[in-house]
Amino acid sequence: MIALIRALGAMTHGFLAEFGRFCLFTRTVIRTAARTRGNLRPVIEQIGHVSYRSLPTVAFAGVFVGAILVLQFNEMLKEYDAGIFLGGLNTSSVVREVGPLIISFLLAGKIGAFIAAELGTMRVTEQIDAVECLGTNPIQFLIVPRFAGIVVSSMLLLALGLMISVAGSMTVATLVCGLNPLQYLSSVPKFTGVSTLVAGMIKSAVYGTIVASVSCFYGFNATGGARGVGRAVTQAAIYTNLYILIANFVLSNLLDRLGGLFK
Amino acid sequence: MKMLRLRGETEDASTEASQAAWARFLHEVGAPLSEQARTLGEIGALFARTLTELGSVRHRGPEVAHAIVQIGIGSLPIIVLSTVFAGLVVTNEIAWHMDLALHTVSMIPGITGQFILRELGIAIPALLLVSKVGASITAEVGTMRVTEQIDALKLLGIDPVRYLVVPRFVASLLSSACLTLIAISVTLVCALSVAVLRYNFSGLEYLNALRQYIGFTDLLCALTKGVTFGAIIPIVSCAYGFRCQGGAEGVGSATTNSVVTSTIAVILLDFLLTYAFTLLN
Amino acid sequence: MSIAFWEVTKNFGPKRILDNVSFDVATGEILFILGKSGMGKSVTLKHIVGVLKPDSGAIIVDGMNVTKLDEDGLAEIRRRCGMVFQHPALLDSLTVYQNVSFGLRTPQFARTLRRTLSEEEIRARAIEKLALVHLGPELLERRPQELSYGMQKRVSLARTLAPEPRYLLFDEPTTGLDPVTTNAVNDLILELSRKLKVTSIVVSHDMACALKVADRILVLDQARILAWGTVPEIKRSQEPLIRDFLSETLALLPPEER
Repeated sequence: MIALIRALGAMTHGFLAEFGRFCLFTRTVIRTAARTRGNLRPVIEQIGHVSYRSLPTVAFAGVFVGAILVLQFNEMLKEYDAGIFLGGLNTSSVVREVGPLIISFLLAGKIGAFIAAELGTMRVTEQIDAVECLGTNPIQFLIVPRFAGIVVSSMLLLALGLMISVAGSMTVATLVCGLNPLQYLSSVPKFTGVSTLVAGMIKSAVYGTIVASVSCFYGFNATGGARGVGRAVTQAAIYTNLYILIANFVLSNLLDRLGGLFK
Repeated sequence: MKMLRLRGETEDASTEASQAAWARFLHEVGAPLSEQARTLGEIGALFARTLTELGSVRHRGPEVAHAIVQIGIGSLPIIVLSTVFAGLVVTNEIAWHMDLALHTVSMIPGITGQFILRELGIAIPALLLVSKVGASITAEVGTMRVTEQIDALKLLGIDPVRYLVVPRFVASLLSSACLTLIAISVTLVCALSVAVLRYNFSGLEYLNALRQYIGFTDLLCALTKGVTFGAIIPIVSCAYGFRCQGGAEGVGSATTNSVVTSTIAVILLDFLLTYAFTLLN
Repeated sequence: MSIAFWEVTKNFGPKRILDNVSFDVATGEILFILGKSGMGKSVTLKHIVGVLKPDSGAIIVDGMNVTKLDEDGLAEIRRRCGMVFQHPALLDSLTVYQNVSFGLRTPQFARTLRRTLSEEEIRARAIEKLALVHLGPELLERRPQELSYGMQKRVSLARTLAPEPRYLLFDEPTTGLDPVTTNAVNDLILELSRKLKVTSIVVSHDMACALKVADRILVLDQARILAWGTVPEIKRSQEPLIRDFLSETLALLPPEER
């Protein structure tokens, strides 16, 4: 029993220490970014590169996330005779909650793991040390463009994924649930408004930042050959997901409070 | 005559150019597609091989136990922690929607229960398993591959599929089923506590509603999904690990690709299974 | 004007890596730091450029105490010290030219020169440094992946030489290389040190290279300095570990060089 408590304590301590180092790293990156002037070219290159790579995957996932939700909500609402709300409930859930969550899980793999692998490889082959020894700040040279690029492209991809998801769920509702698009759309205004969109956008921005900072952190701090790169990628993927879920909880409550203010 | 020939020649040239452009286009589109198809083929072949070698698991007790510790127990803390946060959110979100549409929150227990049991409690742990278990299996097998440990196994006459894949496959199946049940329970408990504390339901009321709206098929659906995801993740991850090449960089990109493919596979299978169970009802 | 370690102690957790280590490097000499794997050889190099900080003691480079310097001071030290890594560590996303000229485009390089180099000057200098390592200008637009490992190491050396450092720090330059490339790298170290009159510190576990190239040799063991002296002094040493190292190596040499 005592051993279990001790193990749990050690685990909590390890997690918090890691989280602290992560926060310090993110602060350094943001400070360095604020000091960096001029040249937007590497950032734009990153955005183009990242978005182009991830587009098909995000579109694919978007359609199916919408489709799964339509099927599930259709079943549930039927039991309560509330089938007419399908469109509204589904659109709102996709934009506010499930869409950003699942698509950013996917981005954690597609973008986050990729960046962690890239930076981790540069670390273990001493490329990052070489940059530093040649008198260039590696955070400024390597991390800042990636960080900014990922934040922007995650937001773009999430916005696009949400649109595709909404359209996809409408299609599935028409094909499978026997609703016509007009019926489906009729309940949308009741559920969604500017606040839904704002909530979706805020979540996208926060999740994008998490994907960027977690993957840069684990990639930049990788150690020890091929095994180390593998570990960096794994940890980037899993911690991105965990932090996104925690952020989701915090944001949902926060946006709830904010929404209450405007009622 | 000369004019005609000239025109013919330019036409030839332009068709040649357009043919070259087409060929380039087809190559651009086709190369990644054929690559994907090859990967799918490899995953399918590995799956088939694993199933035929499944009998060998009897002699692999220690490896299976080790893999269960690594996969099941190893991901338990992170899955519990994550599902706690997911459970705390879901009641709020559904209540918000119910309030907006129906101006009542009386349906919270039924709807949250159904949503957790059919979707949320299954999808979240599955996606976490992809990044926790899937990524670490690919990284591990990939590292073995690039450090020539797998070649060494073969030279020693040990079949890598039997030795590496089968134990992980069995362990992942069992762990995923258990983790799905644990995740569902944790999520339900969290959702219930929010409902009780914030929306003034009594615990008994909530449990009654759950019993009314949740049936045996829901549980069956949850387990089926859990087992399916548990089966697909180690196969995809091992397949990517086996084809990994070229040092640290290779391990990194194999792990990335494995996570993405597994995520997509989980979302796709989730859709197909949901659809199948809708038809069943 | 040189590099000196003064009573430097460094622990990694409970493990002592350097224990009260003091030595200095004379201008223009080639110092080999030898020792078994994991005996704090690379750690010593990382202390010179301030990537690691000692737990106690001081490291003096050109009269400046590295442990007390701020970021700008460290940047200046790093410009004076050219670090050559065990791996080529070339940036894969850049061409050979961009890699070699990398150090010429940094702000503190411009500060020391008191001006920015023009593109032609940078190009000329890149070609000049490539020539020093016996590579032709036709490689400039190639990518590192297209070159052989030995060529990548040369490009990496040219990159280090480009900002014209006073000190060259080599981290295991010949580990994992075949004998022919090892010889070529050793000859390059010797040739560059003499031709450019730079001071070199080479971390290695290859006694044969040390005997061939070094002016002085320093042997680290159990976090302490086991021996420190010129090549003939080391050859006469009676320390068991050094005898072990030597007997392995001397057996391979022709009798007149023993």
